[in-house]
Amino acid sequence: MRRPALVALALGLVVYWAAAQCNVSPSELVDGAVRGLEVLVFFFSPDWHALPELAGPALVTVLLAAVATPLGVALSAVFGLAAARNVAPGWLRTPARMLIGLERALPEIIILLLLVAALGVGPFPGVIALALGSIGMLGKLLADSVEEIDARVLESVETVGATRWQVIRHAVIPEVLPSFLANAIFRFEVNIRASVLLGAVGAGGIGFELSKAMSLLEYERAMSAVLLTLALVFGAERVSDFLRRRVLDGGRLR
Amino acid sequence: MNSVAPAADVPSALFTPPSRHFRRRLAIFAAIGAFLVAASAALKFQPWLLFTDFHYLVRLAGEMLPPRIELLWTKPSLYSSVAETIAMALLGTLGGASIALALALLAAANTTPHPLLRTVVRFGFGAERATPNFVVLLVLLIAVGFGPFAGMLALTIGSIGMFGKLFADAIEQVDPAPIEAIESVGAGRWHVIRYAVVPQVLPSVVANGFYAFDVNLRAAIALGVYGGGGLGFELQLAMKVLRYQDVLALVLLVLVMVTLMERVSDFLRRRILGSTASL
Repeated sequence: MRRPALVALALGLVVYWAAAQCNVSPSELVDGAVRGLEVLVFFFSPDWHALPELAGPALVTVLLAAVATPLGVALSAVFGLAAARNVAPGWLRTPARMLIGLERALPEIIILLLLVAALGVGPFPGVIALALGSIGMLGKLLADSVEEIDARVLESVETVGATRWQVIRHAVIPEVLPSFLANAIFRFEVNIRASVLLGAVGAGGIGFELSKAMSLLEYERAMSAVLLTLALVFGAERVSDFLRRRVLDGGRLR
Repeated sequence: MNSVAPAADVPSALFTPPSRHFRRRLAIFAAIGAFLVAASAALKFQPWLLFTDFHYLVRLAGEMLPPRIELLWTKPSLYSSVAETIAMALLGTLGGASIALALALLAAANTTPHPLLRTVVRFGFGAERATPNFVVLLVLLIAVGFGPFAGMLALTIGSIGMFGKLFADAIEQVDPAPIEAIESVGAGRWHVIRYAVVPQVLPSVVANGFYAFDVNLRAAIALGVYGGGGLGFELQLAMKVLRYQDVLALVLLVLVMVTLMERVSDFLRRRILGSTASL
């Protein structure tokens, strides 16, 4: 950042290129804003009668995330430990690291599209996609925090003659469990949002209802679905705040 | 205390008798297990399908191989799809960050013109964060039609909530000393913001901007699937017409693109933040 003018120029050129790619122009932006507001007006009266019908799909969305999160956490624990330099043998570490990196680069939606292509629509591919989608984030964070453990802690357990499993059980897990659980609880929030999104592609739930209402231009019903979605996300935040307070106490386990 | 005495030759650190702690942990695991079973039953989620239906997955893999890599030279429109996806993420991140920075000045206690305004803007950030990008995109598709323009706008709006909260918190944590120093020579609100607040929050703005770009690039692919243009849209088209060899080629292209862009933004972040001192 020694030459602000040069940075500004480079940024300007990049923005100009990107704007050309997306057909963005000042007039388009103004038009888009006006039309966006016009469309929003249609949404102003949510269809309250639709809420009872949408309660079932909303529950499906929540359950998808609730089942997928523990599964994803378990998978991530395995992959994360296998990818950590100081606990896993070399032959296991490289493939585990590679798989985690691969999953991180692959958006959940692609995993879901592939699973839907193979297995058809329904909650099953949704749960599997969300569970696999957790590996990239949770597995990487876990592997990193395991590798940050002070080597002396592990050595002190090894000198007593502990096997690899005993080292993991008595030195590694107590050290990384609090941060891992905090990340896992956060992942539940992420999964609720992703569950809405994946629903629209074929996992069912509120996301599917929402995109259906939109494509039929039933704005009032869509608005009810949007309100329910917001309620779900807020609810998930409350639940995970509660869990965090119950399980963790200032970075330590209760 | 009904604990079992450890055998003499086992170090007690590695031998803990079943305790109240252990029983509590067992209860927690049992509760999680029971919940999983009940929720799976309610969802009609049958884990064993993974084994009984495994041959479908194998069949799909068979249909995807070998990936039709020749698309890279037989279908030049792929390159504009990649460019669209990257451009969407870039504009969404920059646009969202600019709008959020302006709003964050209204949402931070030490720069806001009025406390009530701070509450309103912060509530707006919270509401935006709770709204999935995909909901915003659905509204925009009706307003501006299909294509990368809608995707770009959805990412812009979708970045405001996250950025706004981060920036407002960063502004509230700035060191008040420079602000007082500048105020003492009679500077107005704008000078204070320009010379005391912005330089202090810029590093966090830059670092978070690069992180958000990585997130937005993945989101740009997902939004593309719903009609936001770019690679995601191509992928969904290939899926629709069951050209699975094309699908695998596109998935590989996504992997390469995401990995490369992550490297690039990592490199730039290190270049820029390594020399913020001279800002």
